[in-house]
Amino acid sequence: MTSHISYWIAGDPRPAFKTARFGKDRLVPLQEAAETPAILHDTFDGQVASAGCMLLSEGDELILLGIVKPIRQTGSAPGFVSDMESGPVRDALAGFVSSLRRLSPLGEVVIVRQPMALLDDLDKTLARGDLTVLTAKEGGSAAYLSATPLRGYDKALGRLSSGLAEIRVSGLLDARGAVSTLLPAALRQDLKPEIEMTAGTTAFRAATDIIDAQLDLARAHEPGTIADVDSEFLHQYRVALRKVRSVLSLFKGVYAPEETADLKARFGALMAQTGTLRDLDVYLIERESYLALVPEPLRPGLELLFEDIAADRAKAQEALARHLESDDYSREMRRLQKRFAKDGKKLAKGPEAERKARDLARQLIWKRYRKVCKIAGSIDASTPDAQVHELRIHCKKLRYLMEFFTPIFPEAEIKPLLKALKRLQDVLGTFNDCAVQKDALAGRLEAGDGRRSARKLEIAKSLGALLTVLDQRQRSARSEVEARFAAFNSPATRAGFAKLFKSAGAKP
Amino acid sequence: MKIIACYSNKGGVGKTATSVNLAQSIAEAGHRVLLCDLDPQGASGFYFRVKPSKALKDEQFFKDVKRFTDAIRGSDYDNLDVLPANMSFRDFDIFLSRMKNSQSRLKKALKAGGTEYDIVVLDCPPNISTLSENVFRASDAIVVPVIPTTLSERTFEQLLHFFKEKKLVRKKILGFFSMAQGSKTLHGETMARMRKTHGKRLLDVTVPFATDVEKMGIHRAPVSTFARSSAAAKAYDALWRDVMDRL
Ligand SMILES: Nc1ncnc2c1ncn2[C@@H]1O[C@H](COP(=O)(O)OP(=O)(O)OP(=O)(O)O)[C@@H](O)[C@H]1O
Ligand SMILES: [Mg+2]
Repeated sequence: MTSHISYWIAGDPRPAFKTARFGKDRLVPLQEAAETPAILHDTFDGQVASAGCMLLSEGDELILLGIVKPIRQTGSAPGFVSDMESGPVRDALAGFVSSLRRLSPLGEVVIVRQPMALLDDLDKTLARGDLTVLTAKEGGSAAYLSATPLRGYDKALGRLSSGLAEIRVSGLLDARGAVSTLLPAALRQDLKPEIEMTAGTTAFRAATDIIDAQLDLARAHEPGTIADVDSEFLHQYRVALRKVRSVLSLFKGVYAPEETADLKARFGALMAQTGTLRDLDVYLIERESYLALVPEPLRPGLELLFEDIAADRAKAQEALARHLESDDYSREMRRLQKRFAKDGKKLAKGPEAERKARDLARQLIWKRYRKVCKIAGSIDASTPDAQVHELRIHCKKLRYLMEFFTPIFPEAEIKPLLKALKRLQDVLGTFNDCAVQKDALAGRLEAGDGRRSARKLEIAKSLGALLTVLDQRQRSARSEVEARFAAFNSPATRAGFAKLFKSAGAKP
Repeated sequence: MKIIACYSNKGGVGKTATSVNLAQSIAEAGHRVLLCDLDPQGASGFYFRVKPSKALKDEQFFKDVKRFTDAIRGSDYDNLDVLPANMSFRDFDIFLSRMKNSQSRLKKALKAGGTEYDIVVLDCPPNISTLSENVFRASDAIVVPVIPTTLSERTFEQLLHFFKEKKLVRKKILGFFSMAQGSKTLHGETMARMRKTHGKRLLDVTVPFATDVEKMGIHRAPVSTFARSSAAAKAYDALWRDVMDRL
């Protein structure tokens, strides 16, 4: 039973609809529609398009295409979903757009909205539809058609659906494809770079390609970080640089020792510039959840703390933006990019450079996996926290290694292992986040000029309560580690790791 | 769910015209309506451009709820669905005579298949039969178009007599004058006489003879959709209000 259909179509299908027949049925416009200018919006990483949708603003009206019929809402501008006024469009967006991402304009289009009807040979309406044709200034166009059958006419909708696929003048797309048809440069396709790796790829080549791609990725996030669009830009920038650094430290011997040391130092220096702002971002992201953690009377104190943090953050943001815009910074980035470009011709190779990436990967992953198991296996209620932290770091490294080398292993086999690992990491992550935040917040309490104003006292009281809750959270996460590891250490996962990564002769 | 039948034991008096316009007006007022075409000729379905049902054959109308609901088609108008007729409906009397509780089968079928509707309108074929008895028992109101002529007067009285004989609820009968022509003295006299003798069984509204009603066959649509301010459309609008008031 077909209850409704919706399609993204390349080009303007109206001329084709004029002559197209779906069995004896035809699709006709119910009224001539006017053209209106509109602006297409999405997050930097295209979360709206990835959810199969397109967000448009037309004057003060929002239009969301992609969920059956077009959804509309007036009086709210795109931005952070949480800042938008409640309504059908916002509520739908909240289902798939991260609260951390800002919806920004991608470009201008002209839209034509046209109600349509599917009529049979007696002009009986069988289904009603909505056609939205979008045309970009540069000339690309795409359309969204949705149709719902009247009761008892599901079969006619089925005919329409299969007929649409056959209208050759217009191809069918997904929402992402529709956006790129309209605005080819709007959505970056390379935010999740796929590194090509085959059985023959050398470790040197793999490492160099990964770093090259991550450097591009870091650079792609610079403008949004400078413009302070949303905190995810800096976060993703840091993730990319962190991945570069992990390749340098995890792929031991791929580059010459002095090369590795030099690169590590330089990427370390780049990373160091970003820590302060990220920490402050994290507090502000947690603002609502922190407020919810402390009892009502203590909330005003916490609000004061967040005021301070927001002020600090503004300063840190300015400083980082200045840094990213500086000549020194862009020169350094260009130099680094050059080193990894062109298959890394300029890089000094190390003893492991020519090894097969696959062999190195298996060796490194197996070793790290064994380490994780060894530490995790010894953890019980009496184990000191330091050891839990150590476990977390090994898990993280294991995760990075597996992710770097995913392309050379069968996807169906490595994916479940990654998933199992992620579940273990979740609890370790909570444990660590609480610990880090506790320390940092306690640090804020002690820092300052030592004067004891009423404001400071109020903040201190609230912070005290917050620290207590964080400590409880940390302990609860800590108490779960054993069970989570037991789940991770299942026979299936163990066999999976051994099958993919254990080479003959390696320690069991 | 209430059931309104458009019935007359006389042919060509305006049952189908009434069913179609009544159903559409009630739906337009926001009630969920199913127009059920019981006449194998399929005239109601014709006016809504709905093709005859193929799958709902023979006894299935009374026995197979799923086939019944699957045969329902959405009309071009909001809130209004149509159950188109099937040629095998002409043998309803035979099927009914084979079934137990043959006089309450229609009610049972409509209650089961029409749960989604506020109002079910029945367009009935012109006769007195087992099916008619089912209609009389199932319906909450029986709307009877009466052309103001001596012959129609007689048929109307036969119907009242039948109700009395069979101990059916006569209050359900809501007659109204259909295709009335003010220019005809006979029409005027008949209406006056009937109002005197059968006043309680007659609605106030009179649907005049109007070419706009005949034009429904060309437009294949209810009158108000192409001649909204016509006398006929206004009369049907008054009719549905009168009928709903009596429910
Ligand atoms: N008020 C009216 N004015 C003019 N013509 C009318 C009017 N009502 C019905 N007609 C016409 O009279 C004819 C018979 O009407 P209709 O089909 O509604 O009657 P019916 O009682 O359903 O007939 P049947 O007994 O054959 O089912 C049709 O051609 C219709 O267009
Ligand atoms: Mg009829």
